[in-house]
Amino acid sequence: MIQHSIPANLAALSDIRQLVTLACQNARLSEEATYRLALAVDEIATNIITHGYEEQGLSGRIGVSIERTDQSLTVVLEDTGAAYDPRTQSLPTAEDLDRPLEDREIGGLGIFLALQGVDCFDYQRSNNVNRNIFGMNLA
Amino acid sequence: MAFSANLEMVDSEARITLEGELDAAVADQFRQTVEHAAQEKPQKLVLFMDKLQFMASAGLRVLVFAKQRMGRDVAIYVIGATGPVLNTMQMSGFHQAVYLQESYP
Repeated sequence: MIQHSIPANLAALSDIRQLVTLACQNARLSEEATYRLALAVDEIATNIITHGYEEQGLSGRIGVSIERTDQSLTVVLEDTGAAYDPRTQSLPTAEDLDRPLEDREIGGLGIFLALQGVDCFDYQRSNNVNRNIFGMNLA
Repeated sequence: MAFSANLEMVDSEARITLEGELDAAVADQFRQTVEHAAQEKPQKLVLFMDKLQFMASAGLRVLVFAKQRMGRDVAIYVIGATGPVLNTMQMSGFHQAVYLQESYP
């Protein structure tokens, strides 16, 4: 397992994507799947930084752990910001996605892209730590 | 790769060339460029995305802002979006809301 600790600010998003992309390349994940995982992690990290830390007046770090087995590549983001389970976010419906841009609601799109893009997603919270877990199949 | 958004007005068209990685950290830079374009009251917004390597939902939200700021009569053209960036637009239904073209004009 590879573990990193990244400052929780938006400027660090590119560093997080770079870590994930490198791990995907080492695991020989396809370019398309690599992008989907990097996008998913980016979207959830953005939410952690913006809503979990900054809007709460908090600062902190995000732990990035990457583990590879023969079957899967797993990325775990850990933070001590406000508790938030992305799976509870109401997501855009097919009808919402068909709306003209001028009639669009803004919210939920990032989490929609995140949850749609990975093979599995889980959220856990214990001891005031949020854990967002992303999995991609390698087989 | 560093992000850039460059605006050029050609007659009544606002042309913005996007390069690099468009995430939440730099989306406001794109939004400000769109705002500058909107002040010119263009009839058409043309976004060149062939050098855009990454686009998060923060970038999509700027497209929503562009449409709402410029009005429904201002058509948005997306030129040269390929691969995952195009796929992200398709997943989120944005491909139906803009004119997608490989090249321009």
